[in-house]
Amino acid sequence: MTRTLGFIIGFFVLVFWLTAKPAFADSPRLIIGVIYVGSFNDYGYNKSFHDALAQVAKDLPGVTVIEAENVAESSDAERVMEGMIQQGAKLIFPTSFGHKDFARKVAKRHRDVFFEHPGDGDTESNFGVFFGSTQTAWYPMGVAAGKMTKSNKLGFVIGMPIGYALGNVNAFELGAKSVNPKAQTVVVVTGGWSDKAKEAGAANALLDQGCDVVAMHVDSPATIIQTVEARGGMSIGFQSLEARALAPTGWVTGLGFTWTPFFMDVAKSVIAGRFQGQAVYQGLGQMVAIAPFGPAVPAEVQKLVTNAANRVMKGFTPFTGPLTDNTGSLALPPGATINNAQMGNFDWYVDGVIGKVR
Amino acid sequence: MTTPLALGVLGGAILSGTSLLYATLGETIVERSGIVNLGLEGILLIGASVGFSTAAATGNAWFGVMAAAMAGGLANVLFGWLVVTRRANQLASGLAMMFFGFGISALVGAPYVGAVIVGLPKWRPSWLGGLPWVQSTTLFDYDALTWLAVPVAILVWWALFWTRWGLAVRAVGERPGAVFASGRNPSVLQYQALSSGGLLGGLAGAHLSLSLTKTWAEYMTAGRGFIAIALVIFSKWHPLRAIAGALLFGGAEALQLQLQARGSAVSPFLLDMTPYLLTLLVLLAWGGSRRLVAPASLGRTFYGSDG
Amino acid sequence: MPEARTTAAFRKSPIVRVALHDAGICAVVLAAFAAILLAAGKHPLKAYADTFRYTLANAYGFSELIVRMTPLVLTAVSVALPSRLGLINVGGEGQLYMGAWMASAGALLAPDLPTWILLPLVAVLGFMGGGVWAAIPGLLRAGKLVSETISTLLLNYVAPLIVSYFIFGPWRAPGSSAYPQSPVFPEAALLPSFFNTRIHAGFIISLAALLVYWLIVEKTRWGIDMRAIGGNAEAAQRLGIPVAKWIVVALAVGGGFAGLAGMGEVMGIHGRLRQGLSPGYGFTGFLVSWLAGGRPLGILFMAFLFAIITSTGDTLQITQGLPYSVVHILLAMILFIVLAGRPVRAGAI
Repeated sequence: MTRTLGFIIGFFVLVFWLTAKPAFADSPRLIIGVIYVGSFNDYGYNKSFHDALAQVAKDLPGVTVIEAENVAESSDAERVMEGMIQQGAKLIFPTSFGHKDFARKVAKRHRDVFFEHPGDGDTESNFGVFFGSTQTAWYPMGVAAGKMTKSNKLGFVIGMPIGYALGNVNAFELGAKSVNPKAQTVVVVTGGWSDKAKEAGAANALLDQGCDVVAMHVDSPATIIQTVEARGGMSIGFQSLEARALAPTGWVTGLGFTWTPFFMDVAKSVIAGRFQGQAVYQGLGQMVAIAPFGPAVPAEVQKLVTNAANRVMKGFTPFTGPLTDNTGSLALPPGATINNAQMGNFDWYVDGVIGKVR
Repeated sequence: MTTPLALGVLGGAILSGTSLLYATLGETIVERSGIVNLGLEGILLIGASVGFSTAAATGNAWFGVMAAAMAGGLANVLFGWLVVTRRANQLASGLAMMFFGFGISALVGAPYVGAVIVGLPKWRPSWLGGLPWVQSTTLFDYDALTWLAVPVAILVWWALFWTRWGLAVRAVGERPGAVFASGRNPSVLQYQALSSGGLLGGLAGAHLSLSLTKTWAEYMTAGRGFIAIALVIFSKWHPLRAIAGALLFGGAEALQLQLQARGSAVSPFLLDMTPYLLTLLVLLAWGGSRRLVAPASLGRTFYGSDG
Repeated sequence: MPEARTTAAFRKSPIVRVALHDAGICAVVLAAFAAILLAAGKHPLKAYADTFRYTLANAYGFSELIVRMTPLVLTAVSVALPSRLGLINVGGEGQLYMGAWMASAGALLAPDLPTWILLPLVAVLGFMGGGVWAAIPGLLRAGKLVSETISTLLLNYVAPLIVSYFIFGPWRAPGSSAYPQSPVFPEAALLPSFFNTRIHAGFIISLAALLVYWLIVEKTRWGIDMRAIGGNAEAAQRLGIPVAKWIVVALAVGGGFAGLAGMGEVMGIHGRLRQGLSPGYGFTGFLVSWLAGGRPLGILFMAFLFAIITSTGDTLQITQGLPYSVVHILLAMILFIVLAGRPVRAGAI
């Protein structure tokens, strides 16, 4: 029996020695805590935060980052954040939408710890919200897709039908229609932000049903882009500017987050003791950037896209009424607009989008 | 050109069903020898992560496939040590293997999350590729694992039902006492069944990470292992019927996505339920005669004598 | 029970033997995990000190252990009760979700009822949700159509989808488009919490459930009937015990307890219905029950142990930079040790 025990323990020790990596931290000026709903090596959403904060830690002396991956959008998140605070974290980034309520509860209990949440809602003295307003940035993406498509059917894979995703799809379709009135966008929902097998299936289904340009709003664009590329389709990437390496032929363009300048400001404000909980929504040119164009994109299309992008950066929004939704009713009255802070509230698809909201 | 819905679903069914078929075949062999491995999900994850990491580290997807098969086989042998040699409760051991698979696969795959691999090469015979209704689809454009899926099923069927080894393995699952009395060692046979079953399970995981998605993410099998366990029963422990089962389940998943791509107005969540409900319904339909076809000694521990 | 007149007899008495056995497992596990930490380049003593500091020695940490334990005890009972008949319920996840769903239905459809009606109503609905969800596999098994292991497992995947459908659809809170969830439940439906922590009345419910379970199994005629069926179903049938009815009832009641766990999570912790209610409480509950041999005190102890283990995982991730999968490895290791070491009786399954 003791031999068996020793055998089992020895086995596990061996397993660990072969697979685990060590890590340690020292005593710094500012400890930043970050929690991710998945892995930060997702080539997408989570990685954008990880990279930006790593840059901040590199550029600002005395700043360390402690990270926790696979923190579910549940009460687990509270525990993890509390744990980080006990470790000395003074600035916390709960990076997934669903961490919001739990982060707010922790913020109430620790008024001397500061939070920045990518999402919406009220701000408090120690709780700020922010997001890169990707929605308006999808408009020039739509312009690119509308020009590049030959079948006039564009595909869009989204993880879950939340307001921000619907807004992205709507701007995309509006951009496409502005240069190609016949363009339609078909939406497929995978049901999760990171279900790789479903993403592959969704991309295949869209290509099967006639789409030749595919865009996405999921955590990581890798699987979809690779699937589309293998079948000769064109892709528009999201979340990571590096994704174009995955589609040497079919890459059109894409969007990515550039959080570093904003995070730098926040970290400095915490160190200087002048943090203010604000709602900061920045779009194209600040928190959101456009990826370089792929080789297949002709010069005149590039010009159209760049022009559209410039218009957005100067304040143009495609979300100006009157806009009809895809069931025929008026979704936005004439003259009304939707501003950056309201991007989470979409619950309709614009006319031309094929898909059901719920 | 828009693919007709049927062809789109068929295409998706084959792609999605490949890993299901391998997993089901592996578990069929194991259950035929009298052992239930609830930890199949863990085996699949081990195969997927080891396969992907090896492919990313060596730059060669084939090494990944081989490593995945070996890892799956070894993992099942570890499971075998628990249930055959130490005579532990099979269900609890299975769940232990599931947790083991969760943990190990995450650790093995962690350095490689986000890595880009070339993946398994695909091949389509040119005479098929010329057909118009095939050209724009995914049909017949498969990697080696998918092409070999049905032949492997036939091989497993042949091995179980037409060889002496297969007869002995099945006998262990029915009446281990008789096998013991005839001079063969049931434990050795069970280990053999477990290692070959684990090999197939590893291949199932490898297909997911090296071909279908070309990526690794924790828990990426999303319950396929448990579906395969149900499919074993669905196919009445018969490798050839497993082909139909894998196609059916793969098809249900593909149907949901293809319908959305066509603009159908059904909620994706409701559509997502169909594979599981379908499996239940089919199990119900088979239900009456189930008792007659399960290996009689399935799940029981053998102590070297009858009962 | 032998009279403990001498210390030798005391040492041999069942309670002490069991306690020593459990303590022995703990010691082995602690030592083995320390070895693992060393192999990973970590400092085991610091790791244990950190865990102790942030979970046991810390009021908030300790309260979180109670919070984690609450659903675990309930799902463990949901496995233990049917196991008395030899039934295997791995459907705790799904039953938990359906309990949460039905309880939410009550809170959302009858928001104006006063607390003294609404709270018990919501609890009853939670029990019913899980109960019905488990009764389905019960009926299938009683009709000898489908093994309950498989059917409970499959239904685990359907239940969260039903919840998702409702929170993205009919029950979607207006203005929460960014993160779909139901509207906040009326105060009257929420479980009160204690000591300014997240410990909620669900803990009392879980202790009560444990008590009820113990009473049923040890003190009632039903308990004897169940053990008879579990021992030899055919013989029990011939004795006149309605085995088929028992199968359905046992699974339904077991499922009901898991449903209460779900009710506790939405009414005590979240205050609304949302996705991601359970990080695998159903499966962990199965393991808790199995490790405890279905004994009520053992369940309490094991649930506490599991709460510490999962808490350790979080702590170690933050303090030592170890990935969360460490917890899974730790769980697997404990199970391996227990499984490989248990003395088995012939004929056991």
